[in-house]
Amino acid sequence: MRRWQPALMLAPYALGLVALVLLPAAVTLALAFTDYDLIRPPAWIGLGNLRMLADDPVFRIALTNSLGFAVVAVPLRLLVALGLALLLHRRTALVGAARTTAALPTAVPEIAYGLLWLWLFNPLYGPINQALRLGGGNGLTVLGRTPPQWLTDAVDARAAIVVMSVFTVGEAFIILLAARRSLPSQVYELAAIEDATAWDVFRRVTLPLLAPVLGLLLLRDMVASLSVSFVPALVVTDGGPPPYATTYLSLFVYRNAFEYLRYGYAAAATLVMLALTAAAVTVQWRLVRRAQRVYGL
Amino acid sequence: MSGLELRNVRAARGGREVLHDIDLTVARGELLVVLGPSGAGKSTLLRVVAGLEPLTGGRVVIAGRDVTGLRPGRRNVSMVFQSYALFPHLTVAQNIAFGPLVRDTGRARAREQARRAAAAVGCAHLLDRRPDQLSGGERQRVALARALVREPDAFLLDEPLSNLDIEQRAETRAELKALHRRVGAATVHVTHDQVEALVLGDRIAVLRDGRLEQVGTPDEVWHAPATTFVARFVGSPRMNLLPGDGPLRPPDARPDAGRTLGFRAEAVSLDPDPAAGGVRGVVERVDVVGEDAHAYLRVGEHEVVARIPAADRRAVGEEVGVRVRWAAGYVFDAATGRRATTG
Repeated sequence: MRRWQPALMLAPYALGLVALVLLPAAVTLALAFTDYDLIRPPAWIGLGNLRMLADDPVFRIALTNSLGFAVVAVPLRLLVALGLALLLHRRTALVGAARTTAALPTAVPEIAYGLLWLWLFNPLYGPINQALRLGGGNGLTVLGRTPPQWLTDAVDARAAIVVMSVFTVGEAFIILLAARRSLPSQVYELAAIEDATAWDVFRRVTLPLLAPVLGLLLLRDMVASLSVSFVPALVVTDGGPPPYATTYLSLFVYRNAFEYLRYGYAAAATLVMLALTAAAVTVQWRLVRRAQRVYGL
Repeated sequence: MSGLELRNVRAARGGREVLHDIDLTVARGELLVVLGPSGAGKSTLLRVVAGLEPLTGGRVVIAGRDVTGLRPGRRNVSMVFQSYALFPHLTVAQNIAFGPLVRDTGRARAREQARRAAAAVGCAHLLDRRPDQLSGGERQRVALARALVREPDAFLLDEPLSNLDIEQRAETRAELKALHRRVGAATVHVTHDQVEALVLGDRIAVLRDGRLEQVGTPDEVWHAPATTFVARFVGSPRMNLLPGDGPLRPPDARPDAGRTLGFRAEAVSLDPDPAAGGVRGVVERVDVVGEDAHAYLRVGEHEVVARIPAADRRAVGEEVGVRVRWAAGYVFDAATGRRATTG
């Protein structure tokens, strides 16, 4: 009985996981090799969907967009979370309010968050561009340039999605805050006695001691980056401006599955997403492990 | 020339004053042990010298330089923490070279200095290991090497032996003493272990509730305790303290409730025949420590401890005659606790 206790206690969770997540996922992956429109029964077409994906210019754009987003947003988000954690780990005046503020955007429902930014980003009466136009004339900034056309220019729209994602780093912020606060104060006092500069302390003490946590967060954010961009792209930029400037893989899958009813095709795209994530995670995991060995952690 | 000087230093923690007007001078090359029970302010004293703790009054002078307003890194002190505070991600060599490196010493030179410091404390064979691969004693050595890689004006040690087992402690104590002779900095060593203080210190400063009770050589602290607190804190078993109008008094003294009489356990002798003279006492407990036995006696309403040869120990419950060698006794003022006459 003793021996079976952990298994029994895990059973409800494992059952739910299998029935509600793993099985549907397996079915979806199987559908990747069929032609299926959610109405007629699926028809086996082998690698047909994957071959079509390879030739689909929209898929290629979505793939590039997603990779670009990951490359820019993942390090940026981690950097912002780390910066906030290091700024706010000491007990100072108003630090509680500041910590809450830093964590708050993550707690806002995604759709509401998206609608909020839709207003913020409005090129004409949105507060961001109103602020940027301060001091300038004729609707230009003080430097005489056109303010960003957040929702109509391709580059500006991609930037908008990144900007939105940079404020929802609450989880990473809280984890890093806890990690920083658990570091022993005496090593910092020793550094102070040796007259180490703030940069030396960051580089030689804080960063290596936080490295294991940062490595794990990097992995997690990499995986999350594929879904983080979904709601903003759906609500704020609607995948545009044309041609598909902010259509990311997740939005591509969503459109194909539920708007064009090409479920099999969408499942194939999901399969590619999964493979990409697995590859990225493997590479990073290796890097993290190597770093941990170097630092002996 | 004074290596380290504290003038009327006051410090507070959480609104409560933990150091009251500390005046203390440590000469260059001298080893001062700050001795006191936990919570006496020993560590705060050390941290005030290092600049890690702000002071609310007074001055700190190191090597003739007033460093009161200077940040820790500008005081040229080095410190060994109780927890050693080694960097877990750095090797022993990198740990020791940390100070020189952040002070912009070249990599090769820092490495060479680390090697020399490690050799001086006997941990040169550990240079490529990491802290988690070291024993407690080895970590302690690395922490020492790291503190000595520079030539500090003041060398501060915060209970450096408290995490070692008894055997290592005795051994390291001797090495620490020898090392200190070579370093030549003004050294402040904080401990709550009176044996450590007596063995190591050139002088001992006994701290109690943020006040200095006595500063003196180990001999002075042992043979001429300034207060009843020092008398009780230094020595094991603790010194017997009885009121001046109690049952045990020097033969020529009249009862005086304003006095406290002190005598160490060694000054007490027991006579198997309670009627033979002296005062009657009942043996309540006997602790045998090898050759010695500590006999705890009830004399009237007071407890008296006697240190006697284990071979002559008495049985619990036995009535004995208690005699005190008053030539080795002390007289304290009962109200202030300060020693009244030379004893």
